[in-house]
Amino acid sequence: MFHQPRDLEKALRLRADHPAATVVNGATDISVALNHGALHPQAFIDLSRIAVLRAVNREGDHYVMGAGATFAQLGRCHLRALREAALSVAGPAIRNMGTIGGNLVTASPAGDGCVALLAMGGDVELTSAARGPRWVDIRSFFRGYRQTELAADELVTRVRVPYNPATRWYKIGKRGAVNISLVCCAVARRPDQTYGLAFGCVGPTPLFAPQAEALLGRAPLTPERIDAAAAQAETEVAPIDDHRGSAAYRRAMCRTLAHRLLTDLAASDGKGDADAASAGAAA
Amino acid sequence: MPPALAPLPDNVPRVRIACTINGESIVREAPVDCTLLTFLRDIVGLTGSKGACLEGECGSCTVLIDGTPVTSCLMLAAQADGRALTTIEGLADGNALDVLQDKFIETGAAQCGYCTPGLIMAARAVMQSNPRITEAELITALEGNICRCTGYASIIEAVRRAYRTLTP
Repeated sequence: MFHQPRDLEKALRLRADHPAATVVNGATDISVALNHGALHPQAFIDLSRIAVLRAVNREGDHYVMGAGATFAQLGRCHLRALREAALSVAGPAIRNMGTIGGNLVTASPAGDGCVALLAMGGDVELTSAARGPRWVDIRSFFRGYRQTELAADELVTRVRVPYNPATRWYKIGKRGAVNISLVCCAVARRPDQTYGLAFGCVGPTPLFAPQAEALLGRAPLTPERIDAAAAQAETEVAPIDDHRGSAAYRRAMCRTLAHRLLTDLAASDGKGDADAASAGAAA
Repeated sequence: MPPALAPLPDNVPRVRIACTINGESIVREAPVDCTLLTFLRDIVGLTGSKGACLEGECGSCTVLIDGTPVTSCLMLAAQADGRALTTIEGLADGNALDVLQDKFIETGAAQCGYCTPGLIMAARAVMQSNPRITEAELITALEGNICRCTGYASIIEAVRRAYRTLTP
Protein backbone atom coordinates (compact mmCIF):
# COMPACT_ATOMS: atom_id res chain seq x y z
CA MET A 1 0.00 0.00 0.00
CA PHE A 2 1.09 3.54 -0.71
CA HIS A 3 -0.56 6.07 1.60
CA GLN A 4 -0.28 9.71 0.68
CA PRO A 5 -2.23 11.67 3.30
CA ARG A 6 -2.95 15.35 2.64
CA ASP A 7 -3.29 16.35 6.29
CA LEU A 8 -1.46 15.59 9.51
CA GLU A 9 -4.42 14.04 11.35
CA LYS A 10 -4.79 11.42 8.62
CA ALA A 11 -1.06 10.79 8.63
CA LEU A 12 -1.03 10.23 12.38
CA ARG A 13 -3.92 7.76 12.16
CA LEU A 14 -2.12 5.90 9.35
CA ARG A 15 1.06 5.82 11.43
CA ALA A 16 -0.85 4.29 14.35
CA ASP A 17 -2.73 1.79 12.17
CA HIS A 18 0.26 0.69 10.06
CA PRO A 19 3.28 0.40 12.36
CA ALA A 20 5.18 -1.66 9.77
CA ALA A 21 4.79 0.95 7.02
CA THR A 22 7.88 2.91 6.00
CA VAL A 23 7.44 6.65 6.53
CA VAL A 24 8.98 8.86 3.83
CA ASN A 25 9.02 12.50 2.87
CA GLY A 26 11.82 13.14 0.39
CA ALA A 27 12.56 9.39 0.39
CA THR A 28 16.17 10.17 -0.52
CA ASP A 29 17.73 7.99 2.16
CA ILE A 30 15.35 5.03 1.92
CA SER A 31 15.73 4.99 -1.88
CA VAL A 32 19.43 4.24 -1.57
CA ALA A 33 18.54 1.12 0.42
CA LEU A 34 15.87 0.22 -2.16
CA ASN A 35 18.38 0.63 -4.98
CA HIS A 36 20.79 -1.66 -3.19
CA GLY A 37 18.06 -4.25 -2.62
CA ALA A 38 18.60 -3.93 1.12
CA LEU A 39 14.94 -3.18 1.94
CA HIS A 40 11.66 -4.47 0.58
CA PRO A 41 8.88 -2.45 2.22
CA GLN A 42 5.34 -3.55 1.49
CA ALA A 43 3.77 -0.25 2.55
CA PHE A 44 4.69 3.43 2.68
CA ILE A 45 3.27 6.53 4.32
CA ASP A 46 4.36 9.52 2.24
CA LEU A 47 4.28 12.84 4.11
CA SER A 48 5.39 14.98 1.17
CA ARG A 49 1.89 16.29 0.35
CA ILE A 50 1.19 17.68 3.83
CA ALA A 51 1.56 21.43 3.36
CA VAL A 52 1.65 22.33 7.06
CA LEU A 53 4.82 20.27 7.55
CA ARG A 54 6.68 22.56 5.12
CA ALA A 55 6.17 25.76 7.12
CA VAL A 56 9.22 27.69 8.37
CA ASN A 57 8.39 30.68 10.58
CA ARG A 58 9.57 32.79 13.43
CA GLU A 59 7.11 32.37 16.29
CA GLY A 60 7.90 34.69 19.20
CA ASP A 61 11.16 33.57 20.80
CA HIS A 62 11.59 30.57 18.51
CA TYR A 63 12.39 29.76 14.93
CA VAL A 64 10.01 26.93 14.05
CA MET A 65 10.46 24.54 11.16
CA GLY A 66 8.01 21.92 9.96
CA ALA A 67 9.58 18.48 9.71
CA GLY A 68 8.93 18.58 5.97
CA ALA A 69 11.02 21.71 5.41
CA THR A 70 13.46 20.78 2.66
CA PHE A 71 17.17 21.53 2.63
CA ALA A 72 16.41 23.87 -0.27
CA GLN A 73 14.10 25.82 2.06
CA LEU A 74 16.58 25.75 4.93
CA GLY A 75 19.24 27.00 2.53
CA ARG A 76 17.34 30.31 2.66
CA CYS A 77 16.73 30.45 6.44
CA HIS A 78 18.06 33.06 8.87
CA LEU A 79 20.01 30.62 11.03
CA ARG A 80 23.48 30.77 9.57
CA ALA A 81 24.80 27.36 10.68
CA LEU A 82 21.62 25.61 9.57
CA ARG A 83 21.58 27.50 6.28
CA GLU A 84 25.19 26.63 5.50
CA ALA A 85 24.72 23.03 6.67
CA ALA A 86 21.65 22.71 4.43
CA LEU A 87 23.53 24.08 1.43
CA SER A 88 26.36 21.63 2.09
CA VAL A 89 24.01 18.67 1.70
CA ALA A 90 24.24 16.87 -1.66
CA GLY A 91 23.32 18.98 -4.70
CA PRO A 92 20.31 21.16 -5.57
CA ALA A 93 18.12 18.32 -6.84
CA ILE A 94 18.47 16.33 -3.62
CA ARG A 95 18.06 19.48 -1.51
CA ASN A 96 14.67 19.88 -3.20
CA MET A 97 13.65 16.52 -1.74
CA GLY A 98 15.44 15.82 1.55
CA THR A 99 13.90 17.26 4.73
CA ILE A 100 15.03 18.22 8.21
CA GLY A 101 12.57 15.70 9.69
CA GLY A 102 14.14 12.95 7.62
CA ASN A 103 17.59 14.09 8.68
CA LEU A 104 16.54 13.82 12.34
CA VAL A 105 14.83 10.43 12.09
CA THR A 106 17.58 8.91 9.95
CA ALA A 107 19.88 9.99 12.79
CA SER A 108 23.04 9.39 10.82
CA PRO A 109 26.21 10.54 12.60
CA ALA A 110 26.79 12.51 9.37
CA GLY A 111 23.43 14.31 9.60
CA ASP A 112 24.55 17.85 8.85
CA GLY A 113 21.22 19.43 9.79
CA CYS A 114 21.23 17.55 13.10
CA VAL A 115 24.66 18.93 14.00
CA ALA A 116 23.54 22.50 13.36
CA LEU A 117 20.41 21.96 15.46
CA LEU A 118 22.36 20.39 18.32
CA ALA A 119 24.63 23.42 18.57
CA MET A 120 21.74 25.89 18.57
CA GLY A 121 19.69 23.77 20.99
CA GLY A 122 15.93 23.51 20.90
CA ASP A 123 13.23 20.90 20.79
CA VAL A 124 11.79 18.32 18.45
CA GLU A 125 8.01 17.91 18.40
CA LEU A 126 6.91 14.26 18.28
CA THR A 127 3.21 13.69 17.69
CA SER A 128 0.98 10.64 17.91
CA ALA A 129 -2.73 10.26 17.28
CA ALA A 130 -3.23 8.72 20.71
CA ARG A 131 -1.22 11.12 22.88
CA GLY A 132 -0.96 14.29 20.85
CA PRO A 133 2.27 16.30 20.61
CA ARG A 134 5.25 16.29 22.99
CA TRP A 135 8.40 18.41 22.80
CA VAL A 136 11.67 16.54 23.31
CA ASP A 137 14.95 18.35 23.91
CA ILE A 138 17.01 17.95 20.72
CA ARG A 139 19.88 16.96 22.99
CA SER A 140 18.10 13.85 24.22
CA PHE A 141 16.55 12.94 20.86
CA PHE A 142 19.43 10.77 19.57
CA ARG A 143 19.62 7.53 21.56
CA GLY A 144 22.25 5.52 19.68
CA TYR A 145 23.45 4.64 16.21
CA ARG A 146 20.45 5.50 14.01
CA GLN A 147 18.17 5.31 17.04
CA THR A 148 15.98 8.12 18.34
CA GLU A 149 13.32 8.95 20.89
CA LEU A 150 10.60 8.59 18.23
CA ALA A 151 7.98 6.01 19.27
CA ALA A 152 6.45 3.55 16.81
CA ASP A 153 3.20 5.50 16.54
CA GLU A 154 4.77 8.98 16.36
CA LEU A 155 5.86 11.31 13.60
CA VAL A 156 8.35 14.15 13.89
CA THR A 157 6.18 17.17 13.20
CA ARG A 158 8.21 20.29 14.06
CA VAL A 159 11.59 21.52 15.30
CA ARG A 160 12.10 24.77 17.19
CA VAL A 161 15.25 26.70 17.98
CA PRO A 162 15.61 29.63 20.44
CA TYR A 163 15.84 32.78 18.36
CA ASN A 164 18.11 34.64 17.53
CA PRO A 165 21.42 32.75 18.00
CA ALA A 166 24.82 33.62 16.55
CA THR A 167 26.16 30.55 14.78
CA ARG A 168 28.97 29.21 12.63
CA TRP A 169 29.34 26.02 10.59
CA TYR A 170 32.10 24.17 8.79
CA LYS A 171 32.22 20.82 7.02
CA ILE A 172 35.37 18.95 6.07
CA GLY A 173 34.82 16.52 3.22
CA LYS A 174 36.59 15.23 0.20
CA ARG A 175 34.84 17.36 -2.41
CA GLY A 176 33.40 20.82 -2.79
CA ALA A 177 29.89 19.55 -3.47
CA VAL A 178 27.80 16.42 -2.95
CA ASN A 179 29.98 16.04 0.05
CA ILE A 180 29.34 13.67 2.91
CA SER A 181 30.97 14.98 6.04
CA LEU A 182 34.30 13.62 7.16
CA VAL A 183 33.93 15.86 10.18
CA CYS A 184 31.55 18.76 10.60
CA CYS A 185 31.17 21.26 13.40
CA ALA A 186 28.62 23.84 14.41
CA VAL A 187 28.97 26.41 17.20
CA ALA A 188 26.32 28.71 18.57
CA ARG A 189 25.92 31.49 21.09
CA ARG A 190 22.32 31.12 22.13
CA PRO A 191 19.95 33.91 23.17
CA ASP A 192 20.60 33.01 26.86
CA GLN A 193 24.33 33.66 26.19
CA THR A 194 25.32 30.01 26.67
CA TYR A 195 27.35 28.27 23.97
CA GLY A 196 26.73 25.14 21.96
CA LEU A 197 29.42 22.99 20.29
CA ALA A 198 28.28 20.10 18.12
CA PHE A 199 30.04 17.67 15.80
CA GLY A 200 29.16 15.18 13.09
CA CYS A 201 30.88 11.91 12.10
CA VAL A 202 32.79 11.59 15.35
CA GLY A 203 30.55 9.18 17.25
CA PRO A 204 27.52 6.91 16.85
CA THR A 205 25.17 9.90 16.64
CA PRO A 206 25.49 13.59 15.91
CA LEU A 207 26.87 14.79 19.24
CA PHE A 208 27.65 17.80 21.40
CA ALA A 209 30.43 18.59 23.86
CA PRO A 210 28.82 19.51 27.21
CA GLN A 211 32.06 19.91 29.16
CA ALA A 212 33.57 22.22 26.58
CA GLU A 213 30.33 24.21 26.61
CA ALA A 214 30.49 24.39 30.42
CA LEU A 215 34.03 25.79 30.21
CA LEU A 216 32.69 28.61 28.07
CA GLY A 217 29.80 29.30 30.44
CA ARG A 218 28.12 32.60 29.64
CA ALA A 219 31.29 34.64 29.68
CA PRO A 220 32.64 36.56 26.71
CA LEU A 221 34.84 34.52 24.37
CA THR A 222 38.53 35.14 25.02
CA PRO A 223 41.45 33.41 23.25
CA GLU A 224 42.22 31.52 26.48
CA ARG A 225 38.66 30.27 26.88
CA ILE A 226 38.51 29.28 23.23
CA ASP A 227 41.79 27.33 23.53
CA ALA A 228 40.50 25.51 26.59
CA ALA A 229 37.10 24.69 25.11
CA ALA A 230 38.56 23.43 21.83
CA ALA A 231 41.02 21.21 23.69
CA GLN A 232 38.22 19.90 25.89
CA ALA A 233 35.94 19.24 22.90
CA GLU A 234 38.56 16.96 21.39
CA THR A 235 38.29 14.69 24.44
CA GLU A 236 34.50 14.46 24.23
CA VAL A 237 34.19 12.96 20.76
CA ALA A 238 34.45 9.27 19.89
CA PRO A 239 35.47 8.94 16.25
CA ILE A 240 36.35 5.71 14.44
CA ASP A 241 38.72 4.90 11.58
CA ASP A 242 36.91 4.32 8.31
CA HIS A 243 37.43 4.66 4.57
CA ARG A 244 36.88 8.41 4.74
CA GLY A 245 39.41 9.23 7.44
CA SER A 246 41.18 8.13 10.59
CA ALA A 247 39.92 8.58 14.11
CA ALA A 248 43.03 10.56 15.02
CA TYR A 249 42.49 12.98 12.13
CA ARG A 250 38.85 13.44 12.98
CA ARG A 251 39.64 14.08 16.63
CA ALA A 252 42.27 16.65 15.73
CA MET A 253 39.85 18.36 13.34
CA CYS A 254 37.23 18.67 16.07
CA ARG A 255 39.66 20.80 18.05
CA THR A 256 40.70 22.78 14.99
CA LEU A 257 37.15 23.47 13.84
CA ALA A 258 35.89 24.35 17.30
CA HIS A 259 38.79 26.76 17.69
CA ARG A 260 38.31 28.32 14.28
CA LEU A 261 34.55 28.75 14.54
CA LEU A 262 34.59 30.11 18.11
CA THR A 263 37.32 32.55 17.13
CA ASP A 264 35.25 33.71 14.19
CA LEU A 265 32.20 34.04 16.43
CA ALA A 266 34.21 36.10 18.94
CA ALA A 267 35.12 38.52 16.17
CA SER A 268 31.49 39.01 15.18
CA ASP A 269 30.62 41.70 17.80
CA GLY A 270 27.86 39.68 19.45
CA LYS A 271 25.21 40.01 16.77
CA GLY A 272 22.71 37.22 16.20
CA ASP A 273 22.47 35.59 12.78
CA ALA A 274 19.35 37.49 11.76
CA ASP A 275 20.80 40.88 12.80
CA ALA A 276 24.02 40.07 10.96
CA ALA A 277 22.01 39.09 7.90
CA SER A 278 19.96 42.29 7.91
CA ALA A 279 23.07 44.41 8.56
CA GLY A 280 24.71 42.67 5.60
CA ALA A 281 21.66 43.34 3.46
CA ALA A 282 21.66 46.99 4.45
CA ALA A 283 25.37 47.38 3.71
CA MET B 1 4.96 6.28 -25.35
CA PRO B 2 6.57 2.87 -25.81
CA PRO B 3 4.88 -0.12 -24.14
CA ALA B 4 5.89 -1.45 -20.74
CA LEU B 5 9.24 -3.20 -21.02
CA ALA B 6 9.60 -5.39 -17.97
CA PRO B 7 7.01 -7.65 -16.36
CA LEU B 8 6.06 -6.52 -12.89
CA PRO B 9 7.07 -8.81 -10.02
CA ASP B 10 4.19 -10.78 -8.49
CA ASN B 11 5.29 -10.62 -4.88
CA VAL B 12 5.24 -6.84 -4.36
CA PRO B 13 2.11 -4.72 -3.86
CA ARG B 14 1.36 -2.49 -6.83
CA VAL B 15 0.24 1.09 -7.10
CA ARG B 16 -1.47 2.92 -9.95
CA ILE B 17 0.39 6.03 -11.02
CA ALA B 18 -1.24 8.71 -13.17
CA CYS B 19 1.02 11.55 -14.21
CA THR B 20 2.01 13.73 -17.13
CA ILE B 21 5.35 12.99 -18.77
CA ASN B 22 6.60 15.48 -21.34
CA GLY B 23 3.07 16.74 -21.87
CA GLU B 24 1.51 13.32 -22.32
CA SER B 25 -0.83 11.85 -19.70
CA ILE B 26 0.01 8.31 -18.74
CA VAL B 27 -1.35 5.75 -16.30
CA ARG B 28 0.77 2.75 -15.32
CA GLU B 29 1.02 0.24 -12.52
CA ALA B 30 4.28 -0.07 -10.62
CA PRO B 31 5.60 -2.00 -7.63
CA VAL B 32 5.03 0.05 -4.49
CA ASP B 33 8.80 0.27 -3.84
CA CYS B 34 9.68 1.27 -7.42
CA THR B 35 11.83 4.37 -7.74
CA LEU B 36 10.89 7.04 -10.24
CA LEU B 37 13.97 6.22 -12.33
CA THR B 38 13.03 2.54 -12.62
CA PHE B 39 9.47 3.58 -13.44
CA LEU B 40 10.61 5.87 -16.23
CA ARG B 41 13.11 3.45 -17.72
CA ASP B 42 11.60 0.00 -17.21
CA ILE B 43 7.86 0.65 -17.03
CA VAL B 44 7.30 3.74 -19.18
CA GLY B 45 10.22 2.91 -21.48
CA LEU B 46 11.93 6.31 -21.41
CA THR B 47 15.59 5.36 -21.07
CA GLY B 48 17.10 8.81 -21.53
CA SER B 49 17.41 9.34 -17.77
CA LYS B 50 20.43 7.39 -16.60
CA GLY B 51 21.13 5.45 -13.43
CA ALA B 52 24.82 5.56 -12.58
CA CYS B 53 25.48 5.68 -8.85
CA LEU B 54 21.93 5.05 -7.58
CA GLU B 55 22.83 6.78 -4.31
CA GLY B 56 22.71 10.50 -4.96
CA GLU B 57 26.31 11.16 -5.90
CA CYS B 58 26.08 11.71 -9.65
CA GLY B 59 22.90 13.46 -10.80
CA SER B 60 22.65 11.39 -14.02
CA CYS B 61 19.01 10.58 -13.27
CA THR B 62 17.89 14.22 -12.84
CA VAL B 63 14.40 14.99 -14.13
CA LEU B 64 12.02 17.88 -13.50
CA ILE B 65 8.83 17.61 -11.47
CA ASP B 66 6.63 20.64 -11.99
CA GLY B 67 9.80 22.41 -13.12
CA THR B 68 11.87 21.49 -10.05
CA PRO B 69 14.92 19.26 -10.51
CA VAL B 70 14.99 16.01 -8.55
CA THR B 71 17.16 12.91 -8.67
CA SER B 72 14.71 10.30 -9.93
CA CYS B 73 16.64 7.37 -8.44
CA LEU B 74 16.07 8.80 -4.96
CA MET B 75 12.31 9.15 -4.95
CA LEU B 76 9.45 6.71 -5.23
CA ALA B 77 7.50 6.50 -8.46
CA ALA B 78 4.26 6.74 -6.47
CA GLN B 79 5.33 10.17 -5.22
CA ALA B 80 5.06 11.42 -8.80
CA ASP B 81 1.35 10.61 -8.98
CA GLY B 82 -0.57 13.63 -10.21
CA ARG B 83 2.59 15.55 -11.10
CA ALA B 84 3.97 16.90 -14.38
CA LEU B 85 7.35 15.42 -15.26
CA THR B 86 9.86 16.53 -17.83
CA THR B 87 12.62 14.19 -18.93
CA ILE B 88 15.39 14.59 -21.47
CA GLU B 89 13.07 13.08 -24.09
CA GLY B 90 10.74 16.06 -23.63
CA LEU B 91 13.17 18.77 -24.73
CA ALA B 92 13.63 18.29 -28.48
CA ASP B 93 10.76 19.12 -30.78
CA GLY B 94 11.01 16.35 -33.34
CA ASN B 95 14.40 16.80 -34.96
CA ALA B 96 14.74 20.34 -33.64
CA LEU B 97 17.00 20.17 -30.60
CA ASP B 98 16.53 22.20 -27.45
CA VAL B 99 19.02 25.05 -27.24
CA LEU B 100 20.91 23.25 -24.43
CA GLN B 101 21.27 20.09 -26.49
CA ASP B 102 22.47 22.19 -29.39
CA LYS B 103 25.07 24.03 -27.30
CA PHE B 104 26.29 20.83 -25.60
CA ILE B 105 27.08 19.46 -29.07
CA GLU B 106 28.62 22.75 -30.17
CA THR B 107 31.09 22.91 -27.28
CA GLY B 108 31.86 19.19 -27.06
CA ALA B 109 30.21 19.02 -23.63
CA ALA B 110 29.09 15.45 -24.23
CA GLN B 111 31.82 12.84 -24.51
CA CYS B 112 30.73 9.44 -23.19
CA GLY B 113 27.34 11.12 -22.76
CA TYR B 114 26.18 9.24 -19.70
CA CYS B 115 25.93 12.34 -17.50
CA THR B 116 24.53 14.52 -20.27
CA PRO B 117 20.78 14.01 -19.76
CA GLY B 118 21.06 14.84 -16.07
CA LEU B 119 23.25 17.87 -16.69
CA ILE B 120 20.93 19.20 -19.36
CA MET B 121 17.90 18.78 -17.10
CA ALA B 122 19.69 20.53 -14.21
CA ALA B 123 20.63 23.35 -16.57
CA ARG B 124 17.13 23.50 -18.03
CA ALA B 125 15.69 23.88 -14.51
CA VAL B 126 17.98 26.74 -13.57
CA MET B 127 17.46 28.54 -16.89
CA GLN B 128 13.74 28.56 -16.08
CA SER B 129 14.09 29.55 -12.41
CA ASN B 130 17.00 31.98 -12.71
CA PRO B 131 17.17 33.76 -16.07
CA ARG B 132 19.82 36.27 -14.92
CA ILE B 133 22.35 33.94 -13.37
CA THR B 134 25.78 34.71 -11.92
CA GLU B 135 28.77 32.49 -12.60
CA ALA B 136 28.76 31.26 -8.99
CA GLU B 137 25.04 30.46 -9.15
CA LEU B 138 25.58 28.52 -12.35
CA ILE B 139 28.32 26.40 -10.78
CA THR B 140 26.07 25.72 -7.77
CA ALA B 141 23.14 24.79 -10.00
CA LEU B 142 25.24 22.07 -11.62
CA GLU B 143 27.18 20.95 -8.53
CA GLY B 144 25.07 17.84 -8.08
CA ASN B 145 26.00 16.46 -11.49
CA ILE B 146 29.26 14.60 -12.03
CA CYS B 147 31.01 14.33 -15.39
CA ARG B 148 34.15 12.18 -15.55
CA CYS B 149 35.08 13.01 -19.16
CA THR B 150 34.99 16.68 -19.90
CA GLY B 151 36.45 18.49 -16.91
CA TYR B 152 33.28 20.65 -16.87
CA ALA B 153 34.65 23.68 -18.75
CA SER B 154 32.86 22.75 -21.96
CA ILE B 155 29.67 22.04 -20.03
CA ILE B 156 29.68 25.41 -18.30
CA GLU B 157 30.44 27.06 -21.63
CA ALA B 158 27.52 25.25 -23.27
CA VAL B 159 25.12 26.52 -20.60
CA ARG B 160 26.56 30.03 -20.85
CA ARG B 161 25.94 29.98 -24.61
CA ALA B 162 22.41 28.71 -24.07
CA TYR B 163 21.82 31.60 -21.66
CA ARG B 164 22.99 34.07 -24.30
CA THR B 165 20.15 32.96 -26.55
CA LEU B 166 17.54 33.98 -23.95
CA THR B 167 15.71 37.13 -24.89
CA PRO B 168 16.64 39.80 -22.34
